[in-house]
Formats: sequence, C-alpha cells, structure tokens
Amino acid sequence: MELTGLVQQSVDWHAIAPELVLAVSAFIVLVADLFLPKEGKWIAMPLAAAGIVATLAAVVSLAGDDRGTFEVAGSATFVVNDFALLFKGLFCVIGLFVLAISFHHFRSGRYYQGEYYFLMLTSLLGGLAMASARDLISIFIAIELISIPAIVMSAMRKGDARSNEAGLKFFLFSVLSSALMLYGMSLIYGLTGSTVLTDIASSIGSIEASSEPVVVLAVFFLLVGFAFKISAVPFHFWAPDTYEGAPSPVAAFLSTASKVGGFVGLLILMFEAFPSVADTWRPLFAILAVATMTVGNLVALRQTQIIRLLAYSGIAQSGYVLVCFALIESGPGAAEANRQALTSAIVYLAIYAVMDAGAFAAAVSFARKGGSYFISDYSGLWRRSPVLATLMAGFLVSLAGTPPMAGAWAKLFVFLATVQAEVYWLAVVMGVNAVIAAWYYLAVVKAMFFDQPDSTEAVEVPYLLRAAMGLAAAALVAVFVYPPLITDLADKAPL
Amino acid sequence: MNADVVREVFFWGVGAIMVIAALRVVTTQNVVHAALYLVGTLMGAAALYVLLLAEFVAWAQVLIYVGAVVVLMLFGLMLTRAPIGKANYDNSQRPLAAVVAAVLFGVMSWILIDAFSGTELELAGENAPRTQDIGAVIFSSYVWPFEIVSVLLLAALIGAVMIARRDEPEADKEVGS
Repeated sequence: MELTGLVQQSVDWHAIAPELVLAVSAFIVLVADLFLPKEGKWIAMPLAAAGIVATLAAVVSLAGDDRGTFEVAGSATFVVNDFALLFKGLFCVIGLFVLAISFHHFRSGRYYQGEYYFLMLTSLLGGLAMASARDLISIFIAIELISIPAIVMSAMRKGDARSNEAGLKFFLFSVLSSALMLYGMSLIYGLTGSTVLTDIASSIGSIEASSEPVVVLAVFFLLVGFAFKISAVPFHFWAPDTYEGAPSPVAAFLSTASKVGGFVGLLILMFEAFPSVADTWRPLFAILAVATMTVGNLVALRQTQIIRLLAYSGIAQSGYVLVCFALIESGPGAAEANRQALTSAIVYLAIYAVMDAGAFAAAVSFARKGGSYFISDYSGLWRRSPVLATLMAGFLVSLAGTPPMAGAWAKLFVFLATVQAEVYWLAVVMGVNAVIAAWYYLAVVKAMFFDQPDSTEAVEVPYLLRAAMGLAAAALVAVFVYPPLITDLADKAPL
Repeated sequence: MNADVVREVFFWGVGAIMVIAALRVVTTQNVVHAALYLVGTLMGAAALYVLLLAEFVAWAQVLIYVGAVVVLMLFGLMLTRAPIGKANYDNSQRPLAAVVAAVLFGVMSWILIDAFSGTELELAGENAPRTQDIGAVIFSSYVWPFEIVSVLLLAALIGAVMIARRDEPEADKEVGS
C-alpha cells in the first residue's frame, strides 16, 4: 500500500543534538543505577553531571546558528536560535547547580538516588525541548515533560506525609492546569486551523470581529494553564506547600528550572503567536502581574520558615516577569517595544534563576547540620559561619534587587521597560513592591549579622555546596559590575 | 427521511445521554456509579466523533478513556481500601462549585456559539479525515513530539513504580531533612 501524504522529514541531527545527548545520559543514569551496588548509588550524580556537561557542550557547538527542523506545512516546529540556545544553556547551568545541592542531601537521606537523577534529567529535557518548540503540540508535550517528573520528585520522601501532600497537590493542580491549557489550544486550533505558531500569528490577526471573544477565551485558558505552572496569584496555592513538603533540592528545582520552563513557553506563545491581538489580552497580564507581586510579597512578610519565605518570594518574582507581558503592543512599529519587553524578561529570568537557586542552596546548607529551616535560627549566623552568612546575604540582597548584586539590574531593566512603554501605574506598583520585598529579605540579613546566636556551633558546609554557591555569587557580582555579560546575550536573542 | 434529519436526531439523542450522564457523575453518592456514568459521557463523545467522521479519534477515545482510564479508576477503587458503596463526598464547597460550573457553562456556550455558529465544514470526498493521514503526519511532521512523549511515558512509568513500591523496612525512615 502506498502511503500518500507522508512527507519525508530530513532531520537536522545537529540541531537536536543537545536533546539527544541529554536523553541518552538520562538512560545511562537509569541503566547504571541497576548495576550499582547499594553503597555506590551516588555515582549516578557524577554520571548525570557529565551528561549535563556534554549537553552544554552540544549547546555551545550550536552557538550563533539559526536552524529549524521538523517542518509542518513549510514552517519549522523546532528551531535553534540565540533565544533557544540561551535558555538551553541556562537550563543546563541550573541542572548542574541543583545536582550540586542534591548530592549530599540525597546520599545521606536514603532516597532512590538513581531514579531521582534520571527524573531530574528528563525534566530538564522538557525545558530544553520547550526552548525550541514552535508549535502548540511541542509546547504542550514539553511543559508536561517538565512537570510530571517534577511531581514524582516532590513526592520522593515517601515516608513523610508532607511530601505525599506536596506531590498530590502539585499533581492535582498540574493536571487541572494542563486540561485548561489544552482546551485553550484546541480553541486556537479551531480558529486558525494550525498548530504552528507562525501560521497562528498570521491568521489570528485577520480574524473577523465576531470571533474576538473566543480569542480572549482561548488566551485566558492558556494563561490560566501557564499561571499554575509559574505559580502566579491566584493560582499559586500549591507552591508553598509543595516546596515545603518536597525534598529541599527539589524545591530549588521547582522554583528555578520548572518555573523558567513555564515562562519560556509563555514567552514563545505570547511574543510569537498572539502579539497581533495583544490589545485583547494585555489587561489579563497586568492584573495577574499586580496580584502576583503584591500577594506574594505581603504573604512573604509573615513567613517563619525559610523555604516558605523563598516560595512566596518566588511567587512575587514571577510577578515582575509577568509585567513584561503586560507591555506587549500590537500594530505596526510595535516590534521595537516588544523586543525591549522580551529582553528585560529574558534578563530577569536568567538572573532570577541563579539567585533563587543560590538562596535555596544556602538554605539547604544551613539545614544540613546544626541548623534548621526556621528563620529565627538564622540569628547570628555570621558568628557561626561567616562564609555561609555572607553568601546567603548576597543571594537575599540580590533577590531584594539592591546593589551590589545582579538582581538590581534585573528589576531596573523591567522597570525601565515599563516606563518606556509609558505604563506608569505598573511602574509605581513595581516600585512599592520592591520596597515591601526588601523588608523581609533584609530582615533575614539583619538577623544573620546583628542578632545574637542561640548556639555557637559552627555550621559545616560541604565543599561541593560551597563551590556551587561561590560560583553563583561570583556570577551575580560579575553581572552587577558588567551587565553586558547577560544583556548582550539577551539583546541578540529574539524569538 | 434524509441523512440530515438522521444526523440531527442522532446528535441530539447522544447529546442528551451525555448531559444526563455527566450530571449524574457529579450528583451520585456512589463512586462506582460515578465511574460508570463517566463511561456514558465518554462513549457519547466517541459517538459524536464518529458523526464527524473522525473514526480514529473515536476509537482512541473508546480505547484510552473507556478502556483504560475508567477501568483504572475501578481497579483503583477495588485495590485500595476506598469505600465503595454509598458515601458522602460532598463538602461545603458544593454550592460554590455549582455556581462556577454554571457560569463557565454560560460563558463558554455563548462565546462558542458566537464564534463558530454557521461555520460549515465539508467532510465529504477530498476533505474526509482519514486515519491513514493521521498516521502519516504523526510519523513525519510531528515525529519530534511523538518521540519526546516516549521519554515522558518512561519517566512516568519509573516514577509510578518508585512511588508505589514497598520499601525495604529500613528505607521507610527518612532522614536528612
């Protein structure tokens, strides 16, 4: 029988090399785990790290390229360009960082180590695939590949009811959001007859007025779906409970890789497919951004546990990125303004991922031996472990958006983009929120440096964690001193 | 009696069955009955797909949702010690849920009718959707998502085994956090 309609795909193997390398390393980790003796299970971690380094090498080998493959009706659904490569590189760096945080925690904690590292690599693979995805089906599959291993990872402390709760809450919210997202996507497909973003972009602008409400509805469903993934208010309820119940390195992963993955998907969709109808959905993002910033910061003020504080701070940080979406304009001449909104979102996400992962690493280090997750125990950390206190202070100062850390530039760029787009009220809300946020971050810093410690026991931090945190802090300082390190990359990274 | 009338009668008949079954899913007090009513709704959807000549989607619907998902739910009820039989699963959120569902129904019906009413699809002849075409597209244009799904399924499988397996006694105690 002759198969009609079978388009021969010529696959650009170099373009998908990073994904292939990562997938193969995930399988190697899984298979190696079978043969490792019980005491040697930790070897899965160096194997996973080697896999991510190889992936990073594949990403670097593509630097500067502009490729596309897997064509549907003439348009590539998988693209490799500066935007995709920047985020692939970022996912690899986050992956290595989370591996460093995980190592001691999982080795001493009687976890299923091999399975954990396998799941983490597959979740990262979802992030990499997301950065290149340019059609609805790939985007959906990528977001699911990010979420589903993450759900299992957060339920890994099987004997602990809080971890079970973490996994279950994350699972229920995740499937609900996926269902809503799919419904939105099906409406888009019904309207435009295509799943490819460039085709959607060209046909959605020419839709007659009677279909406008359905465009809003479709974008609304898509937005609600993604809002769960990036834990934007009012779809954030799962995040603090899940972060608290999950093993802390997993919380770091959720708060950085998983969240950035959701944002990458949202950036691709909104900047690529729907800018021509931006007038209809821009207010949705403005409302979401304001609610997310404000609620996240206000609730964070009252937290007594560091992981929950970081969870709410992460929610608030999502709000600043959402501001960039509220600046997208439609019509001719909008390209330049949209570029700036996109650039500031990219810069924010890259800096946020590093500083947030650093703060989680510091929290994990402190809780390991002689410390706890309670903020009250951070009093006088400076006298017990000056290095850890300085690093933690550095990450918190960066999250607060004050010099001398890169977080200051992240906030400033979003702020400038808002002012330039002449959305002054949003800039004011951002400013007020930055002040509220500074309060709770700096309260921890003050406690660490000026309060008396309850115990004088030194806090021992393993070398791996020290190295990871040191590198992250150095990167944040370097970017603060010389911001073009990141802005140059982001500037030449249109979708 | 011409084909159009038959189609209308079939559509409204199946639609009525689906609506009644769906309402019973959420109002019945017995979980097993709810799962069985769900079969009615899902089979109705499959019948509507057949009406649209989407035979592949219809069979996928029957195999996956009726054949796998609902059966899994029933197995889950059987194998865990969940109360089968009558039980009160309602809570104080019930009126709120009803209001949300009603509003969602109203808004979505209005918007969908507004957007798509009067749209006609020619499904005969050239445009007839064929299973063969779906197969060809999955393994050519959409081969990338198809392959990625295999990794996703593997991860889900490994994760499910890890969560569900019984640990050795000493591994029950978690330390380190």
